[in-house]
Amino acid sequence: MPTPDLVIAARDVRLTLGAPPVEILRGVDLDVHAGESVALLGASGSGKSSLMAVLSGLERATGGRVRVGGQEFGALDEDALAVARRGRIGIVLQAFHLLPTMTARENVAVPMELAGMADAWPRAEAELAAVGLGHRLDHYPAQLSGGEQQRVAIARALAPGPSIVFADEPTGNLDAATGARIIDLLFERRAASGASLVIITHDPQLAERCDRVARMVDGRLA
Amino acid sequence: MTSWPLVFRLARRELSGRFRGLRLLLVCLVLGVGALAAIGSLASAIGQELNARGRVLLGGDLELSVSQRTADAAELAAMRAIGRVSETIRMQSMAVAGDRTAPVQLKAIDGAYPLYGELTLADGRQVRAPRDEEAWIGEALSDRLGLKAGDRLRLGTATFRVGGVIGDEPDRLSEGFTLGPVVLVSSRGLARTGLIQPGSLYETKYRIAAPGRDPAAAAQGFARRFETAGWETRTRDRASPGASRFVERMGEFLALVALAALVIAGIGIGGGVSSYLEQRRGSIAMLKVLGATSGLVTRIYLTQVALVAGAGIALGLAIGVAATPLIGLAAGAVLPVAPGFTLQPLPLALAAAYGLLIALALCIPALIAAGRVPAAALLRGALDPRGGIGRTGAGLIAACAAAILGLTLWSSHQPLFAAGFLGAAAATFLLLVGLGAAIRAVAARLPRPRRPLPRMALATLHRPGARTVSLVVALGLGLTLFVLLAAIRTSLDGNIRRSVPERAPALFALDVPPDREVEFRRTVAAVSPGAEIAAVPLMRGTITGYRDVRVADLATIPEGAWALRGERGLTFSATLPAGSTLVQGRWWTAAEGRRALVSVDERLAAALDLKIGDPLTVSVLGLERTATIASFRRIAWDTLGFNFVLVFSPGALGDVPHNLAATIDMPAARAPAVNRALLGRFPSTSVIEVGGVLSQVQTVVRLMATAIAAAAGVAVLAGVAVLVGAIAAARAARRYDATILKVLGATRGQVLALQALEYVALSVATGLVALALGLAGAWYVVTQMFRFEWLPDWGTVLATLIVGAVATIAIGLLGSVPVLRARPASALRAL
Repeated sequence: MPTPDLVIAARDVRLTLGAPPVEILRGVDLDVHAGESVALLGASGSGKSSLMAVLSGLERATGGRVRVGGQEFGALDEDALAVARRGRIGIVLQAFHLLPTMTARENVAVPMELAGMADAWPRAEAELAAVGLGHRLDHYPAQLSGGEQQRVAIARALAPGPSIVFADEPTGNLDAATGARIIDLLFERRAASGASLVIITHDPQLAERCDRVARMVDGRLA
Repeated sequence: MTSWPLVFRLARRELSGRFRGLRLLLVCLVLGVGALAAIGSLASAIGQELNARGRVLLGGDLELSVSQRTADAAELAAMRAIGRVSETIRMQSMAVAGDRTAPVQLKAIDGAYPLYGELTLADGRQVRAPRDEEAWIGEALSDRLGLKAGDRLRLGTATFRVGGVIGDEPDRLSEGFTLGPVVLVSSRGLARTGLIQPGSLYETKYRIAAPGRDPAAAAQGFARRFETAGWETRTRDRASPGASRFVERMGEFLALVALAALVIAGIGIGGGVSSYLEQRRGSIAMLKVLGATSGLVTRIYLTQVALVAGAGIALGLAIGVAATPLIGLAAGAVLPVAPGFTLQPLPLALAAAYGLLIALALCIPALIAAGRVPAAALLRGALDPRGGIGRTGAGLIAACAAAILGLTLWSSHQPLFAAGFLGAAAATFLLLVGLGAAIRAVAARLPRPRRPLPRMALATLHRPGARTVSLVVALGLGLTLFVLLAAIRTSLDGNIRRSVPERAPALFALDVPPDREVEFRRTVAAVSPGAEIAAVPLMRGTITGYRDVRVADLATIPEGAWALRGERGLTFSATLPAGSTLVQGRWWTAAEGRRALVSVDERLAAALDLKIGDPLTVSVLGLERTATIASFRRIAWDTLGFNFVLVFSPGALGDVPHNLAATIDMPAARAPAVNRALLGRFPSTSVIEVGGVLSQVQTVVRLMATAIAAAAGVAVLAGVAVLVGAIAAARAARRYDATILKVLGATRGQVLALQALEYVALSVATGLVALALGLAGAWYVVTQMFRFEWLPDWGTVLATLIVGAVATIAIGLLGSVPVLRARPASALRAL
């Protein structure tokens, strides 16, 4: 049985997609404790992003059990998974994926508005100020640099106060110096919020900053 | 449940201020709703005007009319018991001024005329009947004969002074089609002309002002009392049935064309919204990542679509309202009344409802698909949305379709026809969807060509995410419309040409006294030797009964039995008339012809289920005559000779006072000379030059063709918008291909050739189906709706189809030019 401080408990997780079917995850077991940071290392195609998708509720596992924040994800449909993410799970993606028609402030406020938080806007402003973008509140994504966009994405992931944050190669689209600053910022804000962190990376140095490193090989944890 | 204020907030944030991505939705709705609003408003305004002015147009609350006689004392007394009576007599005549002549509609009015409205002269004077030696003349006659007030003209044997030119004849519209302009004289003035003789063709109308009474009941009472006397009745609410029916029919046809345009625009709307939501896929997936449910996403984009649709509908309505008076001005002469600026709530509400329902029905699949974009789409771009549209979606679409059908049936005067039209539109759409799917399936199964370009062109037709179906639907509808329009247009043109027979008589003569037939023939032959003259007895009468049926007792006239309505020209003959073929029974011998027999048009016989030997009764000059049906004839209606539905034996009608009508076949150049010679000797005979009559008929057909072309033009515009939209939607995939191909070393020519191959393949397959569909539709409109002959010009139809297809390919290829111009590196960055 998972212990009470486990925020993620994955058992024998399997994911098979496509026609003809491709086995992407082949029985993954992973526990993540509250406040813990875990780096997922692995070669391209090893299944890191798919594991993250399953753990964050972006994808439903085709086998095994996934329990996140005390909820069994296997029993939830797409909409229930969306509701389960609200306010509890923050996600940072490699390609930023900001909503292009919304300003920085609106982008950060959206998940809190969806979660029904009354103070979405002041919190969005505070979080943007915390990532150093207090002067860019009303800028659209197209008016921001790559580093700034990723900072908005970090603010968006952390502003609702989630218990767990997923980051999928958050520096993959950035130069080394900007990437380093973004990682510092991510760890700093994560520490301030006390959330757990699962970060996918190719970078062993970045992985070493985490409490634990898990290596994916061919759809399994090595 | 997420609150609507949040939905609205997110929808507004996501929506570009300039409706970028949803402009096709806007344009299509503006076009479709605008056309519907304008046509509906115009037809409704004209209908209201005709109804409101009914008693003025009719010249009374009810009208009783009879041919070739006036009312007797008992009938007159019955009329006076209803209300105040005015008598007018109308006949065809010739006006002569010096050596110039013109056919005119001679109308004698009494002192009571007009009972309603005002008779106004062009100089503004409001007048009543002219003095006995004076005439008020129509403006067209004043122009044609160069007459002005004070000049003299001859009618029959009498000379009249022109008292003034008519500005407004209040009951003009209810008089219907006339040969030539009107001349008004007094009742005693008519008597001076000597034109009224036994057997002369004239119509007497009694208009009755009975403000407090129910005109329909009064008319019915009169008709029952004098049932066999051949009276026709009309009431103020049917003052100008011809004009009302024309406006109603034409309005309804044009409204259906506009509705078709809106349906086509709806497909553009569906396509536009679908490609907009495709572009939004990343944002939608991200919203899902952030916790948005499917329902919320659907509601966000539904709100956006509703906002843009609302703007499009409002703009369409505004354009419709603004266009109505302009159409009224442009159509001018063909409309019975020209409405100015008018706000017609019902047609506008209908247009808005259609716009909203069609937009909704065709956007639902795309909206539901948007709701189903999985969050994981961010990680795997090509993931298809899961599942179909679901039960709710299907239910909503069915509800919209039912509402559209219901609205159409409710608002139509011909619900069956309207339902058929919608059914045909839906079937066409489904057929094209099926064709698109079939092309995709066939392309997937064909062996792969060895050369790369054809191989890629084939692959673009069936690869995942291929737009084949939507392109085929758009292309198919566009090309079908082109074919339909070309076939209708050329068929109407063909009918106009056909209405001038190769050997048309040059002149018609009415009211030739039968005892002077020989003199008539000699007079013509003296001026134009060799002229062929066909003269037949002509009288007017109504069918009052057949078998054991009284026509007055029929609740409705059987389909196809139009001859039962009102008066017909009747004749009698010892021999089978030219242009007729016997199909059943036999022609009477001279001996048999002394009995009362009749030969009937085969179509009327079929409509009334008549058999040889059945009795048939007509009322002529107020008296009933019954004859036994001896034969059925097929009539060649397209010859411009005398064609009679009923031809009697001499024994049936020979004793009825009558005149002769004649056609004179000769070179048209001699017509004026013959005309003059006849007028000198036969002052009571009206001679009509056929050319003038034909040009009147042709004008009406031409105006109809123009109206159809204008309405279809809107549909074509909608079709073009859909095509451009579908091609634009498919362009994203083309751009990707083109860029990668260029990176790999393809020349611009090769890339263009690849795309041209794809479009040509689609155009050829779709063009053939469009040809069949368009021709079927056009055939129905031409032959079944308007009862014209099917005479399309095949060359023009095919040329239109080919030009349409080539233009489509050109539009598609033009869209690729910017991509082809760009260097591969910069194009790659833009991917």
